[in-house]
Amino acid sequence: MALRSISRRFGSRILNYRSSVASLHSHATSFGFQQVKEEEKSKLVGNVFTNVASSYDIMNDVMSGGLHRLWKERLVGKLSPFAGMKHLDVAGGTGDVAFRIFDAVNSVKRRALRKVDEDSLEETQIYVCDINPNMLNVGKQRAAERGLRDNKSLVWVEGDAEALSFDDNSMDGYTIAFGIRNVTHIEKALAEAYRVLKRGGRFLCLELSHVDIPVFKDVYDLYSFKVIPNLGELIAGDRESYQYLVESVRRFPPQEKFATMIADAGFEKVEYENLVGGVVAIHSAIKL
Amino acid sequence: MFRTAARRLLGAGFTTSRLLRLPKPRPTTIIPYSYCTSSTESPIGNQSVNPNQSDTAREEGHRRDESSRKPRAEFEEEQARVLAASLRHVPRLGWTEEAMIAGSRDVGVSPSTVGSFSRKEAALVEYFMDDCLQLLIDRVDSGLDLQNLIPSERVSKLVSIRLEMQIPYVSKWPQALSIQAHPVNVPTSFKQRAMLVDEIWHTVGDGASDLDWYVKRTVLGGVYSTTEIYMLTDDSPEYRDTWAFLDDRVKDAFDLKKSIQEAKYFAQDIGAGVGKSFQGLMNVHKGWS
Repeated sequence: MALRSISRRFGSRILNYRSSVASLHSHATSFGFQQVKEEEKSKLVGNVFTNVASSYDIMNDVMSGGLHRLWKERLVGKLSPFAGMKHLDVAGGTGDVAFRIFDAVNSVKRRALRKVDEDSLEETQIYVCDINPNMLNVGKQRAAERGLRDNKSLVWVEGDAEALSFDDNSMDGYTIAFGIRNVTHIEKALAEAYRVLKRGGRFLCLELSHVDIPVFKDVYDLYSFKVIPNLGELIAGDRESYQYLVESVRRFPPQEKFATMIADAGFEKVEYENLVGGVVAIHSAIKL
Repeated sequence: MFRTAARRLLGAGFTTSRLLRLPKPRPTTIIPYSYCTSSTESPIGNQSVNPNQSDTAREEGHRRDESSRKPRAEFEEEQARVLAASLRHVPRLGWTEEAMIAGSRDVGVSPSTVGSFSRKEAALVEYFMDDCLQLLIDRVDSGLDLQNLIPSERVSKLVSIRLEMQIPYVSKWPQALSIQAHPVNVPTSFKQRAMLVDEIWHTVGDGASDLDWYVKRTVLGGVYSTTEIYMLTDDSPEYRDTWAFLDDRVKDAFDLKKSIQEAKYFAQDIGAGVGKSFQGLMNVHKGWS
């Protein structure tokens, strides 16, 4: 009994550190509920997205009942894009967020408001970075459909969130929508985000997160584990990938924990907003 | 109320400047550790640098810096600096996001920070209101001569000093007023005006805290707002008409107070008179019986 109380006093600090390291390690070696080697996780995730790329957007609509559009609108609204902005959308393969930012910057209303005497008539640049070339191809196709194939503002880059190929202090904004869950080492991705952002730049992360509301939580779990893999099989013909998806959501750190991780990377004013009771959370932060 | 209450609780040595600059607590914000990842700058082409190497460097950096937390005050200061720089662009661009974006560029910060201000334009207007109140307090504290003036003249002088601070922005002030009138922004703008009016009365030398207190603040609030709006359409040289208008309104307010006082005394006298004559009647009646 005494031993337990002593360990609680002295050990809690060590335990916290160890448990945080342990949970990060567990994220790096977890592929859904399976245990895998760190080096393999990246390849396995890659396979998942290669398989789902062509039906990714349809599945998003079906799984979320079209809500994912509203969530992305909210994300871009929070970002408040401006003309001349350099923005990086990581894991943004099919371009949902990037197109929204592009529209927001080039909307007629904005163009009317823009004063003629702007000395910095810089071009808005939106970089879409994804580790999976198949997802990027789907994105490029959608751009072509919108007539933006040769538009200089949208740049499609293949790259790894943990090792970005962009200069330090070069981006005004960084968004990652439904992507950070799939990264092997979250803290590396956060560190890279911190590196490429300019002073005053904003980090925004939209991700599926944890629900705590009592009855709703059970409904959500039921929906996730019973309905979604079946939908995956029916529509995309790939049950395993969607099983991975729902399992990886459960293994991802909860909102508060993730916020602490963001703060540890050096960001200021870390906040999060739960949407749909915690099904989705938008974390935002500023680099100063 | 804030200044008088604070004075009473904390004594004369209390400076209100700190009272106005309290940072608002944010519900879901985390205090960050300082984490020097910028020191491990990796050149563009070298992304294949050993992850193990950078890991150990980061580990050391983390251990070294865990003790020193970057204070949140620095962040608040940075935001304040952006807002201050934005004010310079307001006469040209109005109380808008564009002014804030220009301001952030002046400070050397990415315009993305503008997105993080809650109720963006309102943040700029509120910053300006706080700033003006602070300037007014500083002016008063650094020896403004009010001794030779009667109370109504003191009130006039203080209101005119405060309104003069708005002169550079007069062309865009209607926009600021409409922003302050938005339902979302009303609580804050109302509070700021209440503090301003309280400050003015306190300086004039009114320490009352009875029902009279509310009446005085309300009346002065009315005088201030009407003068502010009058100033928007005044083209007289050096706003002479506005100051004349202000003096008249202040005089009316004081006259009103006097007339209410007189009415009260009059009612009391009548009451006393009626009471006496009634008593007299009763005595006579008693005398009769």
